[in-house]
Amino acid sequence: METGLGVFLADIFFPIFEFIAPYVPGETFPNFFNGNIQALQRSLLGSLMVTIIAGFLGSFLLVRNLAMIGDGLAHVAFGGVIIGIILGASTPLWYAMICSIIASASIYELQSREILTGDASIAIFMTGMLAFGLVILKLSGRAITTDIHSYLFGSQLLIDWESLDLISYMSLVSLIVLFSLRHALLAITIDPLSARVQGLPVRGIGLMFSIIIAIVVVSMVKIVGALLVTALLVTPAATAQLIGRSFKSCVFWTQIFGFLSVMIGLYVSSEHGTGAGSSIALTAATIFVMIGLVSGIIKNINPEKT
Amino acid sequence: MESNITSQNGLEQPILEIDNLTVIRSGKLVLKNVNLTVNKGEFVGIVGPNGSGKSTLLLAILGVLKAQEGNIKIYNSKPMSRELYGKIGWVSQAAANLPKDIRITIKELVHLGTVNAKNMFSHTWLPMKDNGRNKKVKEAIEMVGLQGFENFDIGRISGGQRQRAVIARALATEAEFILLDEPLVGMDRESRNSLLKLLDRFCHDNGKTIIMVSHDLSAIRQTTHRMIFLEETIRFDGSTANFPDLESLAKLRGITHTHEQEMGQWSRELGDLKEER
Repeated sequence: METGLGVFLADIFFPIFEFIAPYVPGETFPNFFNGNIQALQRSLLGSLMVTIIAGFLGSFLLVRNLAMIGDGLAHVAFGGVIIGIILGASTPLWYAMICSIIASASIYELQSREILTGDASIAIFMTGMLAFGLVILKLSGRAITTDIHSYLFGSQLLIDWESLDLISYMSLVSLIVLFSLRHALLAITIDPLSARVQGLPVRGIGLMFSIIIAIVVVSMVKIVGALLVTALLVTPAATAQLIGRSFKSCVFWTQIFGFLSVMIGLYVSSEHGTGAGSSIALTAATIFVMIGLVSGIIKNINPEKT
Repeated sequence: MESNITSQNGLEQPILEIDNLTVIRSGKLVLKNVNLTVNKGEFVGIVGPNGSGKSTLLLAILGVLKAQEGNIKIYNSKPMSRELYGKIGWVSQAAANLPKDIRITIKELVHLGTVNAKNMFSHTWLPMKDNGRNKKVKEAIEMVGLQGFENFDIGRISGGQRQRAVIARALATEAEFILLDEPLVGMDRESRNSLLKLLDRFCHDNGKTIIMVSHDLSAIRQTTHRMIFLEETIRFDGSTANFPDLESLAKLRGITHTHEQEMGQWSRELGDLKEER
């Protein structure tokens, strides 16, 4: 067995998974826990890590009005993956990461210098990088293989130790940075000028945040797939906004909804073969609609108590 | 600039000194030869027509906009310098338009005022090292009269309350020098008056120095001690009691300015004021 953060975390969490495995419902779903198929255990661990960090990041993305940046960077990452595969890289995610970080930082620069709005710059990078990847793919004379396909829609069975390591490191770094910067980040988001007057390094924090977004998105690509990254990044956070009153409570509820989406999504996909990424995304959206309806009804019954 | 009353008194302690300031914004001359001294404890109102450079002047004082010519000194330091962090409170025009879909409580918002470059990490990792932050936040909220509303989220309070919350945020920085850009926009008469009273109290009781920009002439007249009429440069600077009436003002402007449209708008505003009285 290799060594790395992924292995270290696996040593801690796999026994816990195995402990609760007997209580897990379903026929195939327990395989995520009991260790019969280790790839599934890795995938579960990876999914949970990614969900935690995505939820945390998503709360900030909504506040910063950057909901679609996840989708944009995921497309960029996919373009990067294709380039990596064609160059014969063993871990094409590294290429994806470099491309995403460059794109994310550029989007931030364009936006903060008021050269382009956020949406427009996201659109340009997203399509540009994806197109670049696809053109290169055609030129290289290769077809879209299952490997490439797995980056589009995520692949539970292809989470090897190397990927888990990468996901673990990226999640840990992002979590530490986001947690450390959370007050400053909120301050510069709510009122950038005041933050600057208070002496906060607005630009530095903004750039740092952009890099973190890129890292988180790339770490999600392998698990949920480039097309569905936004589902875990934004939907739970948006659901939390429906019922949370403070930023803190929103962050808390985001974690709950993210966790539920992943668990229910994985259960449904493993029992009915509906595809993990899409099932998770669908669950997250369903939870949003349900909570939205319920909170809407409650508000109508009791409007002044909102 | 002819009648800079207070700075002639040698005993006063200047907090802001602007010397011959010229600012060009995207190719357009916005401010020219602005000279201004503000002393501790003064409550200065800046009025002027739209596009007269009021906000530009504030942004230059904050150091967000660079001056093409001239000098600005705050507490004897250049704008944006390290020594000034936490000394200036800024209440922006955008304050009333804080995004309403953000779920953040008044307490959380005010708390953000206590974050600065020095404590932004210790804030997070050493929550027990409070340094009186919570007390500061509590006091700031009490000062603007929002006690009892701490846990309301800013999307669900009135415009006036939100403006107070933003001011509380500026107070939590412990700033001695507070700049407000159009704080009265979108407020009803009642909350406007109580906000003005609040600002007046800061000045008198807490010794804060305040510069408020507004195109609400009557509000400025009601509260401030000193008024400045700004239009590219300072055209009147003196005690509020001496602020010229409509005709003299037109004369003051007419000599040097020919923008009919702006002129008309400003006159209309003054007209509204007359009716109000």
